[in-house]
Amino acid sequence: MKTRSKPFIAHRPKRLMPDKLAAATLILAAWLVPAAAFAALGHELSRLPVPVGAPDFTLEDMDGKPYTLSSLRGKVVMVNFWATWCPPCREEIPSMETVYRALHDKGFIVLAINQWETPDHVFSYMGQLEVYPSFPILFDRDSHVSESFGVKGLPTTLLINKQGRVVYRAIGGRNFNHSDVRKLIQQLIDAPE
Amino acid sequence: MHYRFIIACLLFPLLAQASDVQRKFNPQTGIESVQVEHPGFSLKLLPLSPDFVSAVFSARGLPKDIVDATRHYCVFGTILKNTGQLPLHYRLTDWRYVTPDGKTHYLKTKTQWLEEWKERSLAFRWVLLYEEQTYQPGDWGQGFTTLPLQAGSQFDLTYSWTQGGKIYEDKIKAVHCAPAKAPDA
Repeated sequence: MKTRSKPFIAHRPKRLMPDKLAAATLILAAWLVPAAAFAALGHELSRLPVPVGAPDFTLEDMDGKPYTLSSLRGKVVMVNFWATWCPPCREEIPSMETVYRALHDKGFIVLAINQWETPDHVFSYMGQLEVYPSFPILFDRDSHVSESFGVKGLPTTLLINKQGRVVYRAIGGRNFNHSDVRKLIQQLIDAPE
Repeated sequence: MHYRFIIACLLFPLLAQASDVQRKFNPQTGIESVQVEHPGFSLKLLPLSPDFVSAVFSARGLPKDIVDATRHYCVFGTILKNTGQLPLHYRLTDWRYVTPDGKTHYLKTKTQWLEEWKERSLAFRWVLLYEEQTYQPGDWGQGFTTLPLQAGSQFDLTYSWTQGGKIYEDKIKAVHCAPAKAPDA
């Protein structure tokens, strides 16, 4: 199964961000930027006392390609819930991209699940990023997947082991490219199935 | 000595840790943000102007009557962080504020907002801070908190959290809602 999304820039004509959404993104960022500064990204991930089975889902990426979590069994999956207006979400994307590029050939995948926004809006936003994510961006327009995972705030990130169980969780932005996090992901990759 | 300790525990069931309060006033906007640091817990309140808040909700497609209603609320960009080594739990329903007339009030929670909106299938809710959550070490969150107060109002906020099996509570005096308009507007 192909686990890496195609670069969507080649498939979707670039559209201007609707004025209102652009305004919302900017003004939300205006108050949230100091928030990010207030809480500089750490790298601690919390290990769940008992790993729990991840609820299965199927969501589409920018190009309409469906991704089903259960079909990724055997890989280590980082599921990240995010939105464009959320600065710590934006801030952690480059670190996710770096660790994804380093480890995806070894059996690691990132699924960045956008909340409530449209592919057009996210596409416009992605065009502004210096680091262009190559991992799949999926759309949870009615937040039913985030609800099934019990997500209460953005960003929230989960690490799912090769058996499909959630083993680590982080609420709030993180630097996923920290050596401790990479080591932890590598351990999950190396663990027997 | 032993009895003194027990009496002290009975008299002070809520622990107040030493806190470091920082205030930053912006004369151009008339907004004063407040940040408090406790061992293991930090809180920041950034007052948001009614224009700003209504623009956020309007831009996300909420109906005009709801957008207008938000103008009657004092809204804060609120950031909570677990800076300690033990799990932290907060519950906004326990937080309260006292207005200058001496009356005690409670925050309007995300659940209460969603209850008002549920007949209208409004899904936009992520911007509101969840009212109850457990943060593991390193976890943090942010979102709007809302108080049914007019712009420019002043109040004392009592906030609390649980960490390591202990309930902590403290107060920030003279918190100011954002003014309706910037002083130089």
